[in-house]
Amino acid sequence: MKKLMLVILMVMVLFSTACTQTAGEGQTIRIAEQYGIAYAPVQIMKEKGFLEENYPGIEISWEQLSNTAAIREAMVADRLDVGFMAIPPFLIGSENGMEWKIATGLSSVPTGLVATDAIQSLSDFSESDRIALPQPGSVQHILLAMACDREFSDPTKLDNNLVTLSHPDGMSALLAGGEITAHFTSTPYLQKELAETGFHEIISGQEAFGGQFSFIVGVTTNKFHDENPELYDAFVKSVQEAIDFINQNPQEAAAILADVYDLSEEELLTYITAEDTDYSQTVKGIQTFSDFMVKTGYLETGISNPEAATWENVVYED
Amino acid sequence: MRIREFFLKPYSKLVWILLMMLAWELVAKFAPVSALAFPSLQQIFKALFDSIKNGELVYQMLFSLTLILEGLFIGVVLAFIMSFLSVVSKVFESFTDTCVSIFHPLPGIALLPLIILWIGTGTSAILFVIVHSVLWPMILNMNAGFKSIPDVYRKIGDNYEFSRFQSMIRIFIPAALTYLLAGLKISWARGWRAVISAEMIFGASGSIGGIGWYIFNRRVFMDTAGVYAGILVIIAVGILVEDFIFGKIEKNTIKKWGLS
Amino acid sequence: MKPLIRIKNIWKSYGDKQILKEINLDIMPGQLICIVGASGCGKTTLLNLVGGFLKADQGQIDLQGQKINKPSSQCIMVFQEFDQLFAWKTVRKNVEFPLKKIRKNCSPKELRECVSHYLKLVKLSDYENYYPAQLSGGMKQRTALARALALTPKVLLMDEPFGSLDAQTKNELQESLLEIREKTQTTILFVTHDIREAMVLADRIVVLKSGRIMEIIDNQSKDRSLENKITSLLSP
Repeated sequence: MKKLMLVILMVMVLFSTACTQTAGEGQTIRIAEQYGIAYAPVQIMKEKGFLEENYPGIEISWEQLSNTAAIREAMVADRLDVGFMAIPPFLIGSENGMEWKIATGLSSVPTGLVATDAIQSLSDFSESDRIALPQPGSVQHILLAMACDREFSDPTKLDNNLVTLSHPDGMSALLAGGEITAHFTSTPYLQKELAETGFHEIISGQEAFGGQFSFIVGVTTNKFHDENPELYDAFVKSVQEAIDFINQNPQEAAAILADVYDLSEEELLTYITAEDTDYSQTVKGIQTFSDFMVKTGYLETGISNPEAATWENVVYED
Repeated sequence: MRIREFFLKPYSKLVWILLMMLAWELVAKFAPVSALAFPSLQQIFKALFDSIKNGELVYQMLFSLTLILEGLFIGVVLAFIMSFLSVVSKVFESFTDTCVSIFHPLPGIALLPLIILWIGTGTSAILFVIVHSVLWPMILNMNAGFKSIPDVYRKIGDNYEFSRFQSMIRIFIPAALTYLLAGLKISWARGWRAVISAEMIFGASGSIGGIGWYIFNRRVFMDTAGVYAGILVIIAVGILVEDFIFGKIEKNTIKKWGLS
Repeated sequence: MKPLIRIKNIWKSYGDKQILKEINLDIMPGQLICIVGASGCGKTTLLNLVGGFLKADQGQIDLQGQKINKPSSQCIMVFQEFDQLFAWKTVRKNVEFPLKKIRKNCSPKELRECVSHYLKLVKLSDYENYYPAQLSGGMKQRTALARALALTPKVLLMDEPFGSLDAQTKNELQESLLEIREKTQTTILFVTHDIREAMVLADRIVVLKSGRIMEIIDNQSKDRSLENKITSLLSP
């Protein structure tokens, strides 16, 4: 029996060491780095070293993570302090017990449903048409549901037509001309698809939402916010500086980003200065998202008011 | 009973599984881990039973199994045709060898971006990935099997005036069955993995989705217990197919004939 | 009486190597002929030529006046290898399998009786439901013999069928073969490197050395003194 106990003990040790390992203490901040026009201020903050300036001695660990689900999981595992994402995935996380809140708004970028010319409106979709979008519960999915709610009073009307594809795969599939006849996507895929002949935008994100909304927000864990108040403040301040930098020096920002994103400066300048691209710390539309997702069953309780989901510094609009 | 003997019994797998579950539960209950990472067994089984009860999980598992059966069938038939032609013709054999060395090491998932361009994103695309992952190991095993057939069988086939095709069906296939079954087992395992990965990337086409899609969906809606429930189902199907289906087939064929 | 098989001036080579040279041999119906020779002397090649498994470079082999150019169920081969049996079939099914194919018109009952008859002949009636893996080497070769005999071939070609058996089993099988041949009057061409085996079995012994027939010896007397003669013929 002793042998058996030993085996059990070993198995337990194996399991427990695998998951109790905690992050190194001290003054480090772990931020998820993501690519795309909507994340431009994060990149500027990194390149210009704003956070290092505002909090001397800080060590920043930039983590590469491929999608929102991975960011959420990294935050659960305490491998990440700050992540950037759209509001719906943030709300899904909160509802399921994630201990986090929004620290800052980041951007609003053009987003919309691109379709082949054969489809002129939402009511033109037949059963055999397929709409590509990143994943269920993504901001694109919720925006499409909002559009369907507006048009047909049935948010799930097109749910049976959805195909989950990443933005680049979705674009390939749409342009390849198969059963994918529409794609709910964002900058810069949106502009690239619209530049091709035979495709047009049926409905924009703003039309679907019925106003302005934050496309990407910055989220931090409760642990990070509570344990490092000064570092937290420095982070929020740095994001503001990065946003201001883009808004005041778009040409210079485009030059910096061009190197990082491997795009031409002119192209980037067009994207970041576009009329419906807006970098701002104001969090817009969170209550609307929450209420809609509760109404349609994607959330059970949602949030009672924006303050419940945001830190004290956050300015919100709805 | 001595502990060593205890673990040599046929039910030792079950004992290990129970021990692992116990360790899991202890970690979930007492270790400082988030319930979002380590949901308790109770939560996992609740998610499992809820999904089974509303039919969702059963339906999606059947969907995946149907797909893989179709894929296995197509893959095995194609492999058989290619192997048969390789047995008959040396020229075709070199073609088959070339194809195998090119495509066998290539994971189907790596082809996904191309598959989207070629055949879109529907079930046919997933089927393509399955056939790809089934075909090459099957051909390898079939060829090895046919090569292992003693030369006397070829002579005996000729002697009894069987045509090449009759010899293939009635003599070569049973003679190579050890290899064919091994190939089928590898193909099944690869196909099963492929179908799940493909579903997790393609998601569902329309309202139907397989077990991979189930897990993906749980993940994006942060239902960790549901993710584990899906994984449990995958494990259960794996063990069931391996131990019961293949175990039964082997017991009634190669083990009975004294070939393994 | 006309010969059942007539081998006329056969030459056979593999690449540069001349395997058989100028082979001439007549085999009368009901004869048991042994070909003896060292390994590599071409005896198995000769057997394969008679079976139609190989093509001669020159010359021709006739079976009842008809040229042999492909394998057929008229000349059935029994091999030395134990795995000539179908491992996935029982003893009975092994014998029945080719029979079903060749005798398409037989009723299941006739087939069953035929199989039983030949299994009895090789003394395997009690083992008909065994799989080959459960049989001893001798029993495997008996099964192979029954399988071949059941087809009532014109000629039975035997390629050292007892070569892998121990001495005692070998003796038993030799005895059985003689008994069977007595009952069925099957013509047999038997290849062996064992001179004593040839002397026990054969009516005529063909001594083959380096691809050439050295001598054809009449062995009906089973005279022991012939052994020395053959040995000296085969010595280098």
